Amino acid sequence: MARYAIRLTELTKDYPTGFWRPRPVRALDQVSLDVEPGEVLGYLGPNGSGKTTTLKLLMQLIYPTSGRAEILGRPAGDIEAKRRLGYLPELPYFYDNLTAEELLVYFGGLFGLAPAVARTRASTLLDRVGIGAERRRRLRRYSKGMLQRVGIAQALVNDPEVVFLDEPMSGLDPVGRRDTRELIQSLRGEGRTVFFSSHILSDAEALCTRVAIMVKGRLVSTGRLADLAFEVQGWELVVSGGERGDLAGLGLDAVTTTVSDGRHVIELPFDRPPDQVLPELSRLRFQVVSLTPRHESLEDYFMRLVASRQEPAA
Amino acid sequence: MSVIARIAVQVFKESVRDKVLYNLVLFAVLLIAASYLIGQLTAGQDVKIIKDLGLAATQIFGLFIAVFIGIGLVSKEVERRSIYGLLAKPVRRHELILGKYAGLVLTLAVNVSVMAVALYAVLGYMSWVETEEFRQSWDASATDPAMLTAILLIFVQLMLVTAIALFFSTFSSPILSAVLTFGLFVVGHFNADLRNFEGVVDSPVAASLARALYYALPNLAPFDVKAQVVHGHAVPFGYVAATSAYAAAYICALLLAAMLIFSRRDFK
Amino acid sequence: MKARADFWWQRPVLFTVAMVALIVVFVSSTLVRDRVYAVTDSENELLYIPSGAVLERMALSFDSLLADVYWIRALQVYGGTRRSDGEEKNYDLLGPLLDITTTLDPEFNAAYRFGAIFLTEAFPNGPGRTDLAVALLKKGIERKPERWEYYMDIGFIYYWWVQDYEQAAEWFDRAADVPGASWWLRSLAANTLAAGGSRESSRMLWRQLYDSADSDWIRTEATRRLTQLQALDEIDQLIAAARRFYELESRPPASWQELVDARMLSGIPLDPTARPYVIDSVNGTINVSEDSSLFPLPGETLPPLPQ
Repeated sequence: MARYAIRLTELTKDYPTGFWRPRPVRALDQVSLDVEPGEVLGYLGPNGSGKTTTLKLLMQLIYPTSGRAEILGRPAGDIEAKRRLGYLPELPYFYDNLTAEELLVYFGGLFGLAPAVARTRASTLLDRVGIGAERRRRLRRYSKGMLQRVGIAQALVNDPEVVFLDEPMSGLDPVGRRDTRELIQSLRGEGRTVFFSSHILSDAEALCTRVAIMVKGRLVSTGRLADLAFEVQGWELVVSGGERGDLAGLGLDAVTTTVSDGRHVIELPFDRPPDQVLPELSRLRFQVVSLTPRHESLEDYFMRLVASRQEPAA
Repeated sequence: MSVIARIAVQVFKESVRDKVLYNLVLFAVLLIAASYLIGQLTAGQDVKIIKDLGLAATQIFGLFIAVFIGIGLVSKEVERRSIYGLLAKPVRRHELILGKYAGLVLTLAVNVSVMAVALYAVLGYMSWVETEEFRQSWDASATDPAMLTAILLIFVQLMLVTAIALFFSTFSSPILSAVLTFGLFVVGHFNADLRNFEGVVDSPVAASLARALYYALPNLAPFDVKAQVVHGHAVPFGYVAATSAYAAAYICALLLAAMLIFSRRDFK
Repeated sequence: MKARADFWWQRPVLFTVAMVALIVVFVSSTLVRDRVYAVTDSENELLYIPSGAVLERMALSFDSLLADVYWIRALQVYGGTRRSDGEEKNYDLLGPLLDITTTLDPEFNAAYRFGAIFLTEAFPNGPGRTDLAVALLKKGIERKPERWEYYMDIGFIYYWWVQDYEQAAEWFDRAADVPGASWWLRSLAANTLAAGGSRESSRMLWRQLYDSADSDWIRTEATRRLTQLQALDEIDQLIAAARRFYELESRPPASWQELVDARMLSGIPLDPTARPYVIDSVNGTINVSEDSSLFPLPGETLPPLPQ
């Protein structure tokens, strides 16, 4: 058993540009990253940061300029490694004229599954991703969200040890996002390694054991989400008891919402830190139910990182 | 079943699904209608005309299938990005090429065989309704087995055209592939002019260039023995063998080049 | 860093070696084929007529099929023009169409034989171009010298339409020289030379043709010619009757009725197609009616009535 499920070593990819431009564009710059078996890694970054490039290098859809990508201790593109992985491409497209069932049976066949086994597997997986009777319709009639579900099902057709999902949440409605989140959680429960990319922080928050953050083709930080230096932008304070009118006296009326059973949710801005407000509130006989910091969004974080990276050059 | 065979079967299934084999119905209707109409028109040569028509239609229909499916086999997968999902499966890139090729050749084989059976059936019927002395006047009997030689060489030619289409399809768009393939098909028939070129020009450079092109470009004219067969001339076995060997080597070279190009491509 | 060489063909040296080997195979198979087997028909025609040659190239490998199309056009021009009632019948297209047909498919048997018959047919049933017909058949002979029918057909043209019996006999002889030719050609040649133009030798010619015909069309044609010969025989008898009337009355008969009244004929004489014969007392000729399908009778000049 390989020590790492996925290992990137100084992985670099240059895309050649038109011949009139002398320098190729560097899409991925010296990325090194290890993912342990059983981990769920969120590979985060804004659009164009090199996430899809990394996944394509792992699938050997493109070849690296330098560096190495390994899966289960084998080089990317290795046929044995491919037997043990699943891959959901970004905005997946399959064959218009096949039904979801036929697609899964065909792909199952490529893994050497007997037709009967492949059919059973297809039926179980389509149940799992929530494709019902539509499975007998041709894929050309599928919505984007349904194709995404089929895409996840086909990535699991070989019962893979490592699953790569490229933007699994994109194009999904809220129900679809919830289903997908639950599915990834169940994959984690089954002990599979999951490597998924996203440009939305909230996708990662509940799911990942670890995140890796990409900006402009470079890996800028890795670690548990809680440990990363997200700036606090304010706090969410929930109190109960007391009179709503008293809050107005503190100048907090505008940021307060009263919810059921006499609770008030106060959105404290950055310039009113809790240590200033709390003594006042306890004087007015409010009881603190909870206090949570509000972090900046992933987008804001990226922007800040991008800005800080550009400063030395500027 | 190997990965190549599974991909080949899939290509065949898709062509059935895409109603490619409907052309067989058109072929049968064409033959039957033509045999009726030409029978009304003039006596004596209707069997020859049906043979001409049947063999030409076998070739043209096959050609359309070979070019229009062949150019899309690989480039459509790349253009529509379905190749991303496919190559993540335990499929080597060259297996994809060989599987696609085998699948289209299988489709063509089924198509050409059914056409051959239909052609013989129509000719057999036409022969059956004619008098004995009438049959004597034909260059070759209506159900002359030698027609199979012409059909075989048509099939081999279609295999070569498929390889050309597939080769272009591994690195260019479907439309460009179609233009290039059809271009080579036309050039392939004018090819003999290149050989005669040196008799006409004075420049030795031009002459040797023409000769080099004659050998390098696919030469499709020798596969056409339709006229000989229809007039009852024997096509020697050696001729068929040499022409088939030519096709086999040319196809292997095209597939090898396609495999190499495809195995090095980046799918951005 | 590009693709790693997982397979032999991904190594540049081995790939090059394999490609060179394959190229050697297909080039040498071309060399062998070109040397051992004569260039195939479809490649070899650097043709006599530019338009046909151009067409043949345009047709790619479908020249034989295109020949069928031109043959059908030739049939349409011939049949259509022949049937039309228009004053100006124009068969000018027939020759070029047949020429293109036989250029595209140089072994198109029917195009030579039927084509020659169409071309020789006298106006208004055809263009009466014996020269074109002979040229067409000679083109066929150049292509397929073993086809004795082509020589025989030329002989027919000289015999029947041109009435050059020496030429006709010579072509019948040449036909007889071809291995596999019909046995009676030799005697036909002798007969033609000895008694060229005689109705008896004509009758023999058409009867042989009728017996050896390989198509209904030729058989119908031969039947028509034999019927025309019968009409000529009948005209001879009518002329004899007219001559007797002249001896009795010292003037040519003005109409059939006069002959009937003089009890020289039992009724108005009808040709084998049941059309009355036409007597022209001004010019002194007897002929079949222009309505008759036998019209015009072959080039044999009708004997003049005594004036």
